[in-house]
Amino acid sequence: MISLQEENELIDQILGGRQEPYARLVDHYKSYAFTIAFKILNNRGEAEEAAQDSFIKAFHYLKSFNRDARFSTWLYRIVFNTAVSYKRKNRVVLTSLENHERTHESDQSLEREDKQVFVSQAMNHLNEADRLAIQLYYIKEFSLEEVAEMMGQNMNTLKVRIHRARQRLADELKKILKEEALTL
Amino acid sequence: MKMEKFPKNQDDQLLDYLDGKLDATQLDLLRKKLENSSDLNERLESLRLVHRTLSLGKLESPSSTFVNKVMSKLNTSPFSSGLSPKNGLLLLLGVTVAVGMLLVLLNAGIFDQFKGLVALPQTAPAQKYLQQSLPSISINGKLMIKILIGLNLMLAFLVLDKTVLRPFFQKRAGAEL
Repeated sequence: MISLQEENELIDQILGGRQEPYARLVDHYKSYAFTIAFKILNNRGEAEEAAQDSFIKAFHYLKSFNRDARFSTWLYRIVFNTAVSYKRKNRVVLTSLENHERTHESDQSLEREDKQVFVSQAMNHLNEADRLAIQLYYIKEFSLEEVAEMMGQNMNTLKVRIHRARQRLADELKKILKEEALTL
Repeated sequence: MKMEKFPKNQDDQLLDYLDGKLDATQLDLLRKKLENSSDLNERLESLRLVHRTLSLGKLESPSSTFVNKVMSKLNTSPFSSGLSPKNGLLLLLGVTVAVGMLLVLLNAGIFDQFKGLVALPQTAPAQKYLQQSLPSISINGKLMIKILIGLNLMLAFLVLDKTVLRPFFQKRAGAEL
Protein backbone atom coordinates (compact mmCIF):
# COMPACT_ATOMS: atom_id res chain seq x y z
CA MET A 1 0.00 0.00 0.00
CA ILE A 2 1.33 3.46 -0.91
CA SER A 3 0.18 6.52 1.00
CA LEU A 4 -0.64 9.75 -0.81
CA GLN A 5 2.47 11.40 0.61
CA GLU A 6 4.66 8.47 -0.42
CA GLU A 7 3.10 8.56 -3.88
CA ASN A 8 3.94 12.26 -4.25
CA GLU A 9 7.51 11.61 -3.11
CA LEU A 10 7.87 8.85 -5.70
CA ILE A 11 6.53 11.18 -8.40
CA ASP A 12 9.02 13.87 -7.32
CA GLN A 13 11.87 11.39 -7.60
CA ILE A 14 10.73 10.28 -11.07
CA LEU A 15 10.41 13.88 -12.22
CA GLY A 16 13.88 14.43 -10.83
CA GLY A 17 15.21 11.98 -13.43
CA ARG A 18 15.11 8.60 -11.66
CA GLN A 19 13.24 5.72 -13.28
CA GLU A 20 13.46 3.07 -10.54
CA PRO A 21 10.77 4.58 -8.26
CA TYR A 22 8.30 4.24 -11.10
CA ALA A 23 8.47 0.45 -10.66
CA ARG A 24 6.74 0.86 -7.28
CA LEU A 25 3.91 2.85 -8.82
CA VAL A 26 3.54 0.29 -11.62
CA ASP A 27 3.53 -2.55 -9.14
CA HIS A 28 0.92 -0.84 -6.98
CA TYR A 29 -1.48 0.05 -9.80
CA LYS A 30 -0.87 -2.82 -12.23
CA SER A 31 -3.95 -4.83 -11.23
CA TYR A 32 -6.23 -1.79 -11.38
CA ALA A 33 -4.90 -0.81 -14.80
CA PHE A 34 -5.04 -4.37 -16.10
CA THR A 35 -8.60 -4.85 -14.84
CA ILE A 36 -9.86 -1.70 -16.59
CA ALA A 37 -8.16 -2.73 -19.83
CA PHE A 38 -9.44 -6.29 -19.51
CA LYS A 39 -13.03 -5.17 -18.96
CA ILE A 40 -12.80 -3.10 -22.14
CA LEU A 41 -10.88 -5.51 -24.35
CA ASN A 42 -12.04 -8.84 -22.96
CA ASN A 43 -8.76 -10.39 -23.98
CA ARG A 44 -5.92 -10.91 -21.51
CA GLY A 45 -3.07 -10.48 -24.00
CA GLU A 46 -4.48 -7.27 -25.46
CA ALA A 47 -5.32 -5.98 -21.99
CA GLU A 48 -1.79 -6.59 -20.76
CA GLU A 49 -0.36 -4.76 -23.76
CA ALA A 50 -2.77 -1.83 -23.36
CA ALA A 51 -2.06 -1.58 -19.63
CA GLN A 52 1.70 -1.60 -20.25
CA ASP A 53 1.34 1.06 -22.94
CA SER A 54 -0.72 3.16 -20.53
CA PHE A 55 2.00 3.04 -17.88
CA ILE A 56 4.57 4.08 -20.50
CA LYS A 57 2.33 7.00 -21.57
CA ALA A 58 1.81 8.00 -17.95
CA PHE A 59 5.59 7.99 -17.43
CA HIS A 60 6.18 10.18 -20.48
CA TYR A 61 3.46 12.66 -19.49
CA LEU A 62 4.10 12.66 -15.77
CA LYS A 63 5.32 16.26 -15.98
CA SER A 64 1.84 17.33 -17.01
CA PHE A 65 0.14 15.46 -14.17
CA ASN A 66 -1.87 17.98 -12.19
CA ARG A 67 -1.54 17.09 -8.53
CA ASP A 68 -4.99 18.45 -7.70
CA ALA A 69 -6.28 15.06 -8.81
CA ARG A 70 -5.14 11.68 -7.52
CA PHE A 71 -2.49 9.91 -9.56
CA SER A 72 -4.79 6.88 -9.74
CA THR A 73 -7.63 8.91 -11.32
CA TRP A 74 -5.25 10.36 -13.89
CA LEU A 75 -3.77 6.93 -14.66
CA TYR A 76 -7.16 5.20 -14.94
CA ARG A 77 -8.25 7.76 -17.52
CA ILE A 78 -5.13 7.06 -19.57
CA VAL A 79 -5.74 3.30 -19.31
CA PHE A 80 -9.37 3.74 -20.30
CA ASN A 81 -8.52 5.85 -23.37
CA THR A 82 -5.66 3.58 -24.38
CA ALA A 83 -7.78 0.43 -24.12
CA VAL A 84 -10.61 2.06 -26.08
CA SER A 85 -8.18 3.04 -28.86
CA TYR A 86 -6.73 -0.51 -28.84
CA LYS A 87 -10.21 -1.84 -29.26
CA ARG A 88 -10.90 0.48 -32.20
CA LYS A 89 -7.57 -0.43 -33.74
CA ASN A 90 -7.71 -4.18 -33.31
CA ARG A 91 -11.46 -4.73 -33.42
CA VAL A 92 -11.26 -7.38 -30.72
CA VAL A 93 -14.16 -9.81 -30.93
CA LEU A 94 -16.37 -9.36 -27.93
CA THR A 95 -17.31 -12.60 -26.35
CA SER A 96 -18.09 -11.06 -23.00
CA LEU A 97 -18.29 -14.48 -21.45
CA GLU A 98 -15.43 -14.03 -19.08
CA ASN A 99 -16.33 -17.36 -17.61
CA HIS A 100 -14.24 -18.91 -20.38
CA GLU A 101 -11.20 -17.71 -18.54
CA ARG A 102 -12.53 -17.90 -15.02
CA THR A 103 -10.95 -20.57 -12.90
CA HIS A 104 -13.34 -23.02 -11.41
CA GLU A 105 -13.13 -22.52 -7.71
CA SER A 106 -14.01 -25.62 -5.78
CA ASP A 107 -16.36 -23.90 -3.34
CA GLN A 108 -18.71 -22.67 -6.06
CA SER A 109 -21.73 -24.82 -6.64
CA LEU A 110 -22.68 -25.84 -10.15
CA GLU A 111 -25.99 -24.05 -9.90
CA ARG A 112 -24.31 -20.81 -8.90
CA GLU A 113 -21.92 -21.10 -11.84
CA ASP A 114 -24.85 -21.71 -14.17
CA LYS A 115 -26.56 -18.59 -12.95
CA GLN A 116 -23.38 -16.60 -13.43
CA VAL A 117 -23.22 -17.84 -17.00
CA PHE A 118 -26.80 -16.67 -17.53
CA VAL A 119 -25.93 -13.24 -16.16
CA SER A 120 -22.90 -13.15 -18.47
CA GLN A 121 -25.14 -14.06 -21.39
CA ALA A 122 -27.50 -11.28 -20.39
CA MET A 123 -24.51 -8.90 -20.33
CA ASN A 124 -24.09 -9.52 -24.06
CA HIS A 125 -27.37 -7.70 -24.61
CA LEU A 126 -26.12 -4.49 -23.02
CA ASN A 127 -24.49 -1.82 -25.08
CA GLU A 128 -20.78 -1.49 -24.56
CA ALA A 129 -20.85 1.63 -22.39
CA ASP A 130 -23.52 0.20 -20.07
CA ARG A 131 -21.68 -3.11 -19.78
CA LEU A 132 -18.43 -1.43 -18.94
CA ALA A 133 -20.00 0.99 -16.46
CA ILE A 134 -21.74 -1.76 -14.54
CA GLN A 135 -18.68 -4.02 -14.50
CA LEU A 136 -16.40 -1.31 -13.18
CA TYR A 137 -19.01 -0.11 -10.70
CA TYR A 138 -19.23 -3.54 -9.14
CA ILE A 139 -15.48 -3.85 -8.62
CA LYS A 140 -15.36 -2.61 -5.08
CA GLU A 141 -11.87 -1.17 -5.44
CA PHE A 142 -13.23 1.51 -7.80
CA SER A 143 -15.46 4.24 -6.42
CA LEU A 144 -18.38 5.63 -8.39
CA GLU A 145 -16.43 8.91 -8.72
CA GLU A 146 -13.43 7.06 -10.14
CA VAL A 147 -15.54 5.17 -12.67
CA ALA A 148 -17.26 8.41 -13.72
CA GLU A 149 -13.91 10.15 -14.05
CA MET A 150 -12.28 7.41 -16.10
CA MET A 151 -15.28 7.07 -18.42
CA GLY A 152 -15.45 10.86 -18.82
CA GLN A 153 -19.05 11.05 -17.61
CA ASN A 154 -20.70 12.95 -14.83
CA MET A 155 -21.88 11.07 -11.77
CA ASN A 156 -25.59 11.41 -12.50
CA THR A 157 -25.25 10.10 -16.04
CA LEU A 158 -23.26 7.16 -14.74
CA LYS A 159 -25.79 6.42 -12.00
CA VAL A 160 -28.61 6.41 -14.55
CA ARG A 161 -26.54 4.19 -16.85
CA ILE A 162 -25.86 1.66 -14.10
CA HIS A 163 -29.46 1.71 -12.93
CA ARG A 164 -30.74 1.17 -16.46
CA ALA A 165 -28.18 -1.58 -17.09
CA ARG A 166 -29.30 -3.52 -14.02
CA GLN A 167 -32.93 -3.30 -15.12
CA ARG A 168 -32.03 -4.47 -18.59
CA LEU A 169 -29.99 -7.35 -17.19
CA ALA A 170 -32.92 -8.48 -15.05
CA ASP A 171 -35.19 -8.34 -18.13
CA GLU A 172 -32.73 -10.34 -20.22
CA LEU A 173 -32.12 -12.81 -17.41
CA LYS A 174 -35.82 -13.52 -17.13
CA LYS A 175 -35.98 -14.11 -20.86
CA ILE A 176 -32.94 -16.45 -20.80
CA LEU A 177 -34.25 -18.44 -17.83
CA LYS A 178 -37.61 -18.80 -19.54
CA GLU A 179 -35.92 -20.12 -22.70
CA GLU A 180 -33.80 -22.49 -20.60
CA ALA A 181 -36.90 -23.81 -18.86
CA LEU A 182 -38.54 -24.47 -22.21
CA THR A 183 -35.57 -26.50 -23.47
CA LEU A 184 -35.51 -28.76 -20.38
CA MET B 1 -40.29 -12.47 -28.23
CA LYS B 2 -41.61 -9.20 -26.79
CA MET B 3 -40.43 -8.53 -23.30
CA GLU B 4 -42.86 -7.17 -20.77
CA LYS B 5 -41.45 -4.19 -18.90
CA PHE B 6 -41.61 -4.03 -15.14
CA PRO B 7 -42.96 -0.77 -13.62
CA LYS B 8 -40.01 1.59 -13.30
CA ASN B 9 -40.79 2.93 -9.84
CA GLN B 10 -41.00 -0.60 -8.43
CA ASP B 11 -37.66 -1.44 -10.02
CA ASP B 12 -36.19 1.66 -8.41
CA GLN B 13 -37.45 0.52 -5.04
CA LEU B 14 -36.06 -2.98 -5.46
CA LEU B 15 -32.68 -1.69 -6.58
CA ASP B 16 -32.58 0.72 -3.64
CA TYR B 17 -33.38 -2.25 -1.39
CA LEU B 18 -30.49 -4.28 -2.86
CA ASP B 19 -28.17 -1.30 -2.44
CA GLY B 20 -29.27 -0.97 1.21
CA LYS B 21 -30.70 2.49 0.66
CA LEU B 22 -34.20 1.97 2.10
CA ASP B 23 -35.07 3.20 5.57
CA ALA B 24 -37.19 1.17 8.01
CA THR B 25 -40.54 2.59 6.82
CA GLN B 26 -39.75 2.02 3.15
CA LEU B 27 -38.52 -1.46 3.99
CA ASP B 28 -41.81 -2.34 5.75
CA LEU B 29 -43.76 -1.01 2.80
CA LEU B 30 -41.74 -3.12 0.39
CA ARG B 31 -42.15 -6.24 2.55
CA LYS B 32 -45.92 -5.83 2.44
CA LYS B 33 -45.84 -5.40 -1.33
CA LEU B 34 -43.67 -8.51 -1.68
CA GLU B 35 -46.11 -10.57 0.42
CA ASN B 36 -48.91 -9.69 -1.99
CA SER B 37 -47.17 -9.92 -5.34
CA SER B 38 -45.50 -12.96 -6.85
CA ASP B 39 -44.42 -10.83 -9.84
CA LEU B 40 -42.59 -8.47 -7.54
CA ASN B 41 -40.93 -11.42 -5.79
CA GLU B 42 -39.83 -12.82 -9.12
CA ARG B 43 -38.45 -9.47 -10.19
CA LEU B 44 -36.57 -9.10 -6.92
CA GLU B 45 -34.99 -12.52 -7.46
CA SER B 46 -33.81 -11.53 -10.96
CA LEU B 47 -32.35 -8.27 -9.74
CA ARG B 48 -30.79 -10.00 -6.72
CA LEU B 49 -29.12 -12.57 -8.97
CA VAL B 50 -27.71 -9.79 -11.18
CA HIS B 51 -26.55 -7.88 -8.11
CA ARG B 52 -24.89 -10.91 -6.47
CA THR B 53 -23.18 -12.10 -9.61
CA LEU B 54 -21.81 -8.69 -10.46
CA SER B 55 -20.66 -8.23 -6.87
CA LEU B 56 -18.25 -11.12 -7.47
CA GLY B 57 -16.33 -8.80 -9.82
CA LYS B 58 -12.75 -8.62 -8.67
CA LEU B 59 -9.44 -7.12 -9.70
CA GLU B 60 -7.68 -9.15 -12.35
CA SER B 61 -3.96 -9.83 -12.11
CA PRO B 62 -1.61 -9.29 -15.03
CA SER B 63 1.37 -11.57 -15.69
CA SER B 64 4.17 -11.77 -13.13
CA THR B 65 6.58 -10.07 -15.55
CA PHE B 66 4.31 -7.03 -16.00
CA VAL B 67 6.43 -4.55 -14.01
CA ASN B 68 9.68 -5.66 -15.65
CA LYS B 69 8.16 -5.36 -19.11
CA VAL B 70 6.94 -1.82 -18.41
CA MET B 71 10.26 -0.77 -16.94
CA SER B 72 12.20 -2.21 -19.89
CA LYS B 73 10.02 -0.27 -22.34
CA LEU B 74 10.01 3.06 -20.51
CA ASN B 75 12.29 4.73 -22.99
CA THR B 76 10.27 3.71 -26.03
CA SER B 77 7.67 5.96 -27.61
CA PRO B 78 4.18 5.32 -26.22
CA PHE B 79 2.44 6.05 -29.49
CA SER B 80 2.62 3.33 -32.08
CA SER B 81 0.85 4.08 -35.32
CA GLY B 82 1.47 1.98 -38.41
CA LEU B 83 3.41 4.81 -40.07
CA SER B 84 6.32 6.65 -38.53
CA PRO B 85 5.93 10.46 -38.72
CA LYS B 86 8.83 10.63 -41.20
CA ASN B 87 7.36 7.98 -43.53
CA GLY B 88 3.92 9.48 -43.18
CA LEU B 89 5.14 12.93 -44.16
CA LEU B 90 7.07 11.48 -47.12
CA LEU B 91 3.94 9.65 -48.26
CA LEU B 92 1.91 12.81 -47.81
CA LEU B 93 4.44 14.73 -49.90
CA GLY B 94 4.34 12.05 -52.62
CA VAL B 95 0.55 12.09 -52.76
CA THR B 96 0.49 15.90 -52.89
CA VAL B 97 3.03 15.95 -55.75
CA ALA B 98 1.01 13.32 -57.64
CA VAL B 99 -2.19 15.33 -57.21
CA GLY B 100 -0.39 18.51 -58.29
CA MET B 101 0.97 16.84 -61.44
CA LEU B 102 -2.43 15.40 -62.33
CA LEU B 103 -4.03 18.83 -61.90
CA VAL B 104 -1.43 20.45 -64.16
CA LEU B 105 -1.92 17.78 -66.84
CA LEU B 106 -5.69 18.08 -66.50
CA ASN B 107 -5.60 21.86 -66.94
CA ALA B 108 -3.28 21.50 -69.94
CA GLY B 109 -6.04 19.49 -71.62
CA ILE B 110 -3.96 16.30 -71.96
CA PHE B 111 -6.89 14.09 -71.00
CA ASP B 112 -9.48 15.89 -73.15
CA GLN B 113 -8.81 13.54 -76.06
CA PHE B 114 -9.30 10.34 -74.01
CA LYS B 115 -12.95 10.01 -74.87
CA GLY B 116 -14.83 7.38 -76.71
CA LEU B 117 -16.81 4.17 -76.68
CA VAL B 118 -15.43 0.75 -75.80
CA ALA B 119 -17.35 -2.17 -77.23
CA LEU B 120 -17.90 -5.12 -74.92
CA PRO B 121 -16.79 -8.46 -76.39
CA GLN B 122 -19.73 -10.59 -77.42
CA THR B 123 -19.19 -14.12 -76.08
CA ALA B 124 -20.74 -17.21 -77.64
CA PRO B 125 -23.30 -17.91 -74.86
CA ALA B 126 -24.32 -14.23 -74.87
CA GLN B 127 -24.84 -14.34 -78.62
CA LYS B 128 -26.96 -17.48 -78.19
CA TYR B 129 -29.34 -16.06 -75.59
CA LEU B 130 -29.37 -12.32 -76.30
CA GLN B 131 -31.08 -10.94 -79.35
CA GLN B 132 -29.47 -7.53 -79.07
CA SER B 133 -25.75 -6.82 -78.93
CA LEU B 134 -24.20 -5.65 -75.64
CA PRO B 135 -24.02 -1.85 -75.26
CA SER B 136 -20.68 -0.07 -75.56
CA ILE B 137 -19.16 1.63 -72.51
CA SER B 138 -18.42 5.32 -72.69
CA ILE B 139 -14.94 6.27 -71.44
CA ASN B 140 -14.16 9.77 -70.26
CA GLY B 141 -10.47 10.22 -69.43
CA LYS B 142 -11.01 13.60 -67.80
CA LEU B 143 -13.62 12.21 -65.42
CA MET B 144 -11.41 9.26 -64.51
CA ILE B 145 -8.52 11.57 -63.65
CA LYS B 146 -10.84 13.69 -61.54
CA ILE B 147 -11.91 10.58 -59.62
CA LEU B 148 -8.24 9.62 -59.22
CA ILE B 149 -7.48 13.08 -57.84
CA GLY B 150 -10.38 12.76 -55.40
CA LEU B 151 -9.11 9.37 -54.17
CA ASN B 152 -5.60 10.78 -53.77
CA LEU B 153 -6.94 13.69 -51.75
CA MET B 154 -8.78 11.27 -49.47
CA LEU B 155 -5.60 9.23 -49.03
CA ALA B 156 -3.67 12.44 -48.28
CA PHE B 157 -6.21 13.38 -45.62
CA LEU B 158 -6.00 9.92 -44.00
CA VAL B 159 -2.20 10.06 -43.93
CA LEU B 160 -2.31 13.59 -42.50
CA ASP B 161 -4.72 12.43 -39.81
CA LYS B 162 -2.71 9.34 -38.87
CA THR B 163 0.75 10.85 -38.85
CA VAL B 164 0.23 14.50 -37.88
CA LEU B 165 -3.21 15.38 -36.52
CA ARG B 166 -3.93 12.35 -34.33
CA PRO B 167 -0.51 12.19 -32.62
CA PHE B 168 -0.72 15.97 -32.06
CA PHE B 169 -4.14 15.83 -30.41
CA GLN B 170 -3.24 12.69 -28.44
CA LYS B 171 -0.19 14.46 -27.10
CA ARG B 172 -2.26 17.48 -26.20
CA ALA B 173 -4.89 15.28 -24.52
CA GLY B 174 -2.14 13.54 -22.60
CA ALA B 175 -0.76 16.89 -21.52
CA GLU B 176 -4.16 18.04 -20.36
CA LEU B 177 -4.83 14.96 -18.24
